[in-house]
Amino acid sequence: MTRPVQLYCWHFMSYPYLPADFDERYETGWVTVPNRLWDAERSRGLYQEYIDQLVYADEIGFDGMVLNEHHQNIYGLMPSPNLIAAALSQRTKRGKIVILGNLLPLHLNPLRMAEEYAMLDNMSDGRLIAGFAPGSGPETFNYDVPSAPSRGQFWEAVDLIHRAWTEDGPFAWEGRHYPLRYVNPWPRPTQQPHPPVWIPSSRSTETLVNIAKRGYCYFLSSRSHGSETAKSQAQFAKVLEEQGSRFDPFRMGILMSAHVGDTDAQAQDEAKEGVWYFLKNCLKGHLRREGRMLTAGPGIPYIPPSEFRNYLKFSDPNAPLLGDAEDWADLQRAQSIIVGGPDTVARRIIDIVEHAKCGHLLIQFHMGNMPDALVRKSMTLFAREVAPRLREHSARLFGRHFPEMERSAEMAQ
Amino acid sequence: MVEVRGRKVALIESGQGEPLVYLHGFADVHGVAADFQPFHLRLGTAARVIAPAHPGCAQSDELAEGYGIEDVIFHYLEVFDALGLTSFDLVGHCVGGWIAAELAVRYPERVRRLCLIGACGLFVPGAPIGDIFLHSQPERGVQLTSLRKLLFYTENAPAGLRFYASARGDLEEEMRRYQMLRFGSFVGFKPPYFYNRVLRGRLYRATMPAAVIWGAADRMVPCAHGDAYVAGLPGAEDLTLIQGAGHAAPLERADATADALIEFLATTRDTGQRVSNG
Repeated sequence: MTRPVQLYCWHFMSYPYLPADFDERYETGWVTVPNRLWDAERSRGLYQEYIDQLVYADEIGFDGMVLNEHHQNIYGLMPSPNLIAAALSQRTKRGKIVILGNLLPLHLNPLRMAEEYAMLDNMSDGRLIAGFAPGSGPETFNYDVPSAPSRGQFWEAVDLIHRAWTEDGPFAWEGRHYPLRYVNPWPRPTQQPHPPVWIPSSRSTETLVNIAKRGYCYFLSSRSHGSETAKSQAQFAKVLEEQGSRFDPFRMGILMSAHVGDTDAQAQDEAKEGVWYFLKNCLKGHLRREGRMLTAGPGIPYIPPSEFRNYLKFSDPNAPLLGDAEDWADLQRAQSIIVGGPDTVARRIIDIVEHAKCGHLLIQFHMGNMPDALVRKSMTLFAREVAPRLREHSARLFGRHFPEMERSAEMAQ
Repeated sequence: MVEVRGRKVALIESGQGEPLVYLHGFADVHGVAADFQPFHLRLGTAARVIAPAHPGCAQSDELAEGYGIEDVIFHYLEVFDALGLTSFDLVGHCVGGWIAAELAVRYPERVRRLCLIGACGLFVPGAPIGDIFLHSQPERGVQLTSLRKLLFYTENAPAGLRFYASARGDLEEEMRRYQMLRFGSFVGFKPPYFYNRVLRGRLYRATMPAAVIWGAADRMVPCAHGDAYVAGLPGAEDLTLIQGAGHAAPLERADATADALIEFLATTRDTGQRVSNG
């Protein structure tokens, strides 16, 4: 049978103890959100709770766990996702550990990332999925990363790490940004020739070409999944074809959030507080018009002028963003945060997969300040009621659309 | 437009007389405006004003990937050679002032007189340069109130509302602003942020007559930077403050800023030495 969608549990590890009037009193959740709001006493055990939720995902049959890197915000408390990955490597046995990803231009020397990822691949017995990201939004401010040269730095670092993993050392790297005389990392990764590499991107053609020609997986960094997601898939498929390669669902991943309850009404009732905490607080400074958005725009000039011209032509600065959603109907339109009983959630995700045709579904269950018991309940229902339907449906769907994938799988057996 | 070693450099001129090279800032010609503004035109009554657009700004080509301030200094050396400018007056505003100061300490023999307006470039402890990148990110999708506050006397200054309205602007104007920020990101954001720590100690080499002019309410490059330039430049006498102006003094108080500069040019006309009034 054709390989079905791979289902991952994504944890952002948001800060859950903000005051109730945070949105009225503070202009952003990013970069300058005052860290005196951190409550050290209440936060005891917070990382443990979050790590335990990811371990639980592994136990109940998710295909992997997803982490990512953020700095100086309430949205994601993982300045170093590699630390959490190290903990997971010792407490889980089965699922992939996806880091999406290390923000390369923030680090003085990319070899450190090559080394840490190789350690994690060994520590997890070959379960690492290595993500790399340029981190060009808030990091411009919180790490003083210059935007304009950051893309060049990023791709040089990616290529350096790839070569460090795949070519015998020592060798010299004569790069523009990271000239190094001795590249010879110990350990080398468990997975050969190297762990799978995923790169998040919006729809920049230049980035898609760079991902495609290196054989990496494209992670669409969008939280909404309307027709744009299908367009991104088609665009990536076209780029792959132009390079004599071919799209298959496992070259692409997408992100969504879900909460599963016994019924639609119960799910909404349970998720309401966490979802709106996430939308109004965690997305303030990111995907909300209120306050100052720090994740794209003229003050983060990392894209070439021609791409910015397109951005100006095709973007509407007055259009509402995900965090501006006021009710469940708004959220349903955005096709991003899916809340409902098992039937509803399965149907809506199947709908997205039918349009997007991508094989890696990265799903956030913990939203904002959602209590542990609710997160686990939702994950349990998802694993028991939703996942089997998604697997069955997607296997048929992919078999129909990508028959050559099935043939190559048979040949491999 | 001139071509310099295969690179296009957009360049506009106004007026007649001795050559005066004008290096622009953010809220300035090429940085946001397509053409000369009243300040530049008034300056053109006293000199032949030559205003190149920095690399990547307006119609100028970007330099090779990952360039920095040193590359821009060398770029201008090549531009001056291509234009046959051996000796000239040099005026710079904001980041253009930083470039002018870097040129003046390296090639003092080429710079007859130096004028800095709200120039960044120096490290002044306790007086950080404002974050133009953060404030260029609109609030509520389109609001540029805090950017206007950073660059102008008040957030409602007419020049500010003209060039930084709280609405998606004309496409070409938005592009000029973006290209200018991208240039700024290449040269002024390594870190450190818009300064070269060793420049202050090198100012002694720029012995030509110098004028240091500052918007009295400059919140982008605090007046303490003007004081530091006056203290470091042997040819500078005192800081000229333009009242009722912020960082964008040439846009906000065109006449007062141009007159201060024209007077400086007049009093230092004959020998390139300052003419004493006493």
